Amino acid sequence: MSRNYEAVYIFDSTLEDAAINEKISRFHGLLGTPEDPEVSHWGRRQLAYSIGSRENGYYVVSRFAAEPNVLPEYERALRLDDGVIRYLITLHEHEVGAPAMSEEELAAQAARRDDDDDDED
Amino acid sequence: MRRPQKSCPFCEGRVRWIDYKDDRTLGRFITDQGKILPSRLSGTCARHQRQLSTAIKRARYLAIIPYLKGHTA
Repeated sequence: MSRNYEAVYIFDSTLEDAAINEKISRFHGLLGTPEDPEVSHWGRRQLAYSIGSRENGYYVVSRFAAEPNVLPEYERALRLDDGVIRYLITLHEHEVGAPAMSEEELAAQAARRDDDDDDED
Repeated sequence: MRRPQKSCPFCEGRVRWIDYKDDRTLGRFITDQGKILPSRLSGTCARHQRQLSTAIKRARYLAIIPYLKGHTA
């Protein structure tokens, strides 16, 4: 069963854009997914703290659906690549920016909170 | 003495899931030092506080927000 993932890569900011794109397509090639992952480039930004001697990084966020068994090979490629300062792969199944909670859900939550209050009194 | 109930800012904004890439939002829930603000001060509900703490830890790893503010190596 394929699952939805979100990966954030931080590339060395001294790399050329073409080299970064080439690396991204190589990593995504390892996933063996039929459709291309959704890639969004944040571009170069300052790191909140220095990692080694680096103060800046090139951030790329990608979302894809993949089989869990292809991830170890993909992750190995990321780890071995010197151009990648850091990466984070997370499950992306929590619908960020999903439809807001409905009135009923909010009411249910408020009711639960009131119940808890009653217990404490 | 029970402290007065504060309302959760995420529930009010009807947030389903807290995004670890959103540094503006996360920045409101860390102290001047960079510690995670306790829910007793922010009023965040338990569910969102759990999500928030995971999100802040992920954002720290990705150098989106600092582990420690005002620290120079």
